[in-house]
Amino acid sequence: MSFTRRKFLNTAALSSLALAAPNLWLPGAQAATSLKADSPIKVGLLFSLTGSLAVPEEDSTLVMQYAIDEINAAGGVKGMPIEPVIVDAKSDFKVYSAKTKEMILRDKVISIFGCYTSASRKAILPTVMQQDNLLFYPTCYEGAECTQNCIGTGPLANQHSFDLIPFMVDNFGPKVFFVGSNYVWPKESNKNAKVWLERSGGELLGEEYIPLGSSEFGPVIEKIRAAKPDFIFSTVVGASDIAFHRQFKQAGLKVDKMPIASLTTGEIETAAMGAEYGAGHFLSAPYFQTIETPTNEKFVDGFLSSPYGKNGYTHYNMEETYLSAYVFKNALEKAIDMHGVTDVTPRKIRDAAAGVKVEADVSPEGLVWIDGDNFNTWLKPKIGQCQADGSFKVIKEAADHVAPDPFSIYPDSGKCTADGLLGLDGKLKVDLI
Amino acid sequence: MLASIVNPLILGISIGSILLISALGLAVIYGAAGVINMAHGEFIMLGAYSTYTLQSTMGMPFLLCIPCAFFIVGIIGFVIERNLICYLYNRPLDTLLATWGVSLVLMQSSRLIFGSDVKYIAMPEFLSTNLELGILNFSTFRLFLIAVALILLFITWFIFYRTRLGIKIRAVTQNKEMAASFGINAAQVYSITFAFGAGLAGAAGAMFGALSIVLPTMGMHYVVEAFLMVVTGGGSILGTVFASTLAGEIQSIFAFIFNDTMARGLLFILIVVLLRFRPQGLLSTGSGRR
Amino acid sequence: MRINPYNNVKYQWAVYVVFFIFLACIPTIVGDDVFLLNQLSTYGVYGILALSLSLCWGFGGILNLGQGIAFGLGSYGMAMTMQLQSQDILEDRIPPFMLNNAVETLPAIWEPFWNAGAGISLALIVPTLFCLIFGGLMFWGRVSGPFFAIMTLAMLSAFYTIFIDLQYLTNGVNGITPPMALEVGPYLVDPYSSVSFWVVFVALLLCTVVAKLITQSKFGLIVQAQKNDPERTRFLGYNVALYETIIYAFSGFIAAIAGCCFAMLTQYVSPGQFDVGFSISMVIWVAIGGRASLLWGMLGAFMVQGAQSYLGDQFLSTWLLILGFFFILVVRFLPGGLAGLVEVILGYFSSNSSGTKGSNSEPKRVD
Repeated sequence: MSFTRRKFLNTAALSSLALAAPNLWLPGAQAATSLKADSPIKVGLLFSLTGSLAVPEEDSTLVMQYAIDEINAAGGVKGMPIEPVIVDAKSDFKVYSAKTKEMILRDKVISIFGCYTSASRKAILPTVMQQDNLLFYPTCYEGAECTQNCIGTGPLANQHSFDLIPFMVDNFGPKVFFVGSNYVWPKESNKNAKVWLERSGGELLGEEYIPLGSSEFGPVIEKIRAAKPDFIFSTVVGASDIAFHRQFKQAGLKVDKMPIASLTTGEIETAAMGAEYGAGHFLSAPYFQTIETPTNEKFVDGFLSSPYGKNGYTHYNMEETYLSAYVFKNALEKAIDMHGVTDVTPRKIRDAAAGVKVEADVSPEGLVWIDGDNFNTWLKPKIGQCQADGSFKVIKEAADHVAPDPFSIYPDSGKCTADGLLGLDGKLKVDLI
Repeated sequence: MLASIVNPLILGISIGSILLISALGLAVIYGAAGVINMAHGEFIMLGAYSTYTLQSTMGMPFLLCIPCAFFIVGIIGFVIERNLICYLYNRPLDTLLATWGVSLVLMQSSRLIFGSDVKYIAMPEFLSTNLELGILNFSTFRLFLIAVALILLFITWFIFYRTRLGIKIRAVTQNKEMAASFGINAAQVYSITFAFGAGLAGAAGAMFGALSIVLPTMGMHYVVEAFLMVVTGGGSILGTVFASTLAGEIQSIFAFIFNDTMARGLLFILIVVLLRFRPQGLLSTGSGRR
Repeated sequence: MRINPYNNVKYQWAVYVVFFIFLACIPTIVGDDVFLLNQLSTYGVYGILALSLSLCWGFGGILNLGQGIAFGLGSYGMAMTMQLQSQDILEDRIPPFMLNNAVETLPAIWEPFWNAGAGISLALIVPTLFCLIFGGLMFWGRVSGPFFAIMTLAMLSAFYTIFIDLQYLTNGVNGITPPMALEVGPYLVDPYSSVSFWVVFVALLLCTVVAKLITQSKFGLIVQAQKNDPERTRFLGYNVALYETIIYAFSGFIAAIAGCCFAMLTQYVSPGQFDVGFSISMVIWVAIGGRASLLWGMLGAFMVQGAQSYLGDQFLSTWLLILGFFFILVVRFLPGGLAGLVEVILGYFSSNSSGTKGSNSEPKRVD
């Protein structure tokens, strides 16, 4: 009987199960992916093209393809084109996890752009961390995470409602009612909102959470009617959000007396609910399609006239995804300058991303840059009001860039640094998710 | 004070009417043909998409779309019954599986045809306001839903108890062989019943698309609750009416006392407990089909 | 009368032996491709799930659309164990996500999971117990057939809602993400090594052997009797509800094993485990493979999942359409699944071959 090498290794592995050699299976033994000179740079696009998450994520894939085409047309990254590996995550976290493994281990991508929900991000982060790859997470999230393998280009919970709550209190009155979908991000956002509410002298009348996907807002609306708030702060997502706005109007609540200040109701949602249901309500986001800058006009025109712009709008989530491609490009160029092409690993791109800027002539929302400690984005949240045609009019923009702070409401946890979460006791925790 | 008692009760009727609209088609198909129709949610979805299509391409008014959605989805249901379900009547578990396959196909086809972005259904202005009577507050759309539920129920009752077709349906339901020996074409009766049930789901879809959202996956949200109503009611139409109203009230009252998630949880526990002690459902028709 | 070799018990065991020898060769065939090995291990988990379902449905006649419950509970138990393994019992007692939910002390329900043995045992016992109680309630109430299927479906969505709502215990939709691989004593079960493959392999092998033995025992015979005619079985003096409950709970136990393996492989659990679509896709695997056969149920899982991974991207937008149509065709024309097709073909050849294969007149049994 001839022993092949592999078989020998397997037998050895099995027998050492009995012989105690734990280091045999320590994770991270595989060499991290690195770039090859003069060949395309492979990146993974991990979004759902089917299933319940397809509505926002299909747009993310399209806008990423647009951004990659644009970068390649301008000469790529240091002369090397970017080559996207596109997969369908089917709105199923098991597929997210499996496709992440496939892209990292088989396709050897240098970075992954993907996910729209925290649930899917959490599903793939263990793999990304173990293989020491890099995830660009291109939308808003709650924070409270400190890993060495993730860069966020959307607003964190502390940036999102920063301006919105004081603005609403000043213009409509101090009394507010919180409505959210029943999961982590709305609850975390509401904790942040409470901080801003307290500072601006507001008063919280009630807080209600609706099961994800539910479209029955009758009881909640009756509670709101009884509480008589001056405005409603909403973190309702997806189909529920549309049901909420429709039932708000159908129940006879008036948008001028009790507007909804939302973190989610953007151009896609108002188009889906019908503009007459969205008109008058407020949204806080770093980007609106109607921002009047030459960069944004170029982005909107270019995207909508490209083959990827078939859905006919741009949206804050799409813009954040677009930005992530340029953060990647700029960080990669920096990393190549520092280490040389063949020594660039995902981790080195991530380290090089500290402080990387996307200038106002590229970024549709204006200048942004990546924080050197927690690798989220410094940006200016803006407040838009939905108009009768469903578009948003920007009525206020933050004076300065707001710093991302993933642990803003948990000061006891410590501070997120590039190397891990530095506790108040001086201990460093890595890979905290 | 009085408002905080009366409003939940009215809202409960409204929630009940939504449950009933979503469950009625299912109850008809199950009650008369014994088919567990897992594609029911997708029939609802098709109803919503037909309404959307009629509205956006022909500018048809919403109220007219409802009967159209009924007929379009009814025809689709008829075709499916003739080509698939009719071969499976003696295998109840297999109809469940086959209709699940149908639901996959319908969901994915409508995604291919309409795209996966959200569509919306416009409603006449008078349905997006409210009525105030002293302390009471009604959303006109919710009143409209209650009215539609009653109309659909009346049509169903009329067909089942006041037409020749209804007599045939009830005969076939009670004893297929006996009915057949009296010259009733059982296969045809099943087809018509299935189409009628599918049509009811289509009308429901027109309503639900207007209530919230039109998406290929929208049906999934309604189908489990609709099944629970039918099972709780004992499989008959009257039982379903009873179960839906009761469940709507319970959900509304619990949602006022606690919150929405809790209300759903408690409602479900109540149903499991109820079925333990009354496995034949709230209203049993004697020899309930198990 | 000639006997179809498909129903010969000895042949059946021989096929199983060949099947498992083939599985055991996989690491050798695959070689250095860690991705493929990890993927095949995941298929192994799906195989265990399919096995549990064909035991309950194909063999026991209880269609269970909520197998995700036992699977999900098992995987949560495993993930909780792994989460606490990455922490320190004295200094770092609370999982990071709980801090965000204002939990000051570790909830009592998490305490047993400090001990890996206790944790994994609970991961298996809790789902089994749930199945015993829920199954008992339903079966003694004589809820069966399609009605039971609907109740499991409803129960599944109730679990989904509950696990999202109990955010301070489960981290809601975001789920639990243990940052480290499972430790067994001093060893790490790295999901990207052949070790995890062997763990899944052994689990699959043990489950299959036990399940197969059950199908050939006296207990199995009564279970089959109640499937074919519950009333008559009841008149013969057997407590049908008891047999239904036991086979349902045992199938839940196997699904819980699959759940444990799954959490071990992916280091992630979320309420998505209780997704209705996933539980029903298990039914699709088993129906396509052949519900009456344990082996073919597993093969069905391998085939559908494999096709989904490798064909799914080619037919990006039409994959579900193809799967749906295929599933309809199987239900309509091949109620026995692919196994039924094989049975017919084998029967055809054996009746054409000369000579009878002994006068083995054993009753037809589940393969």
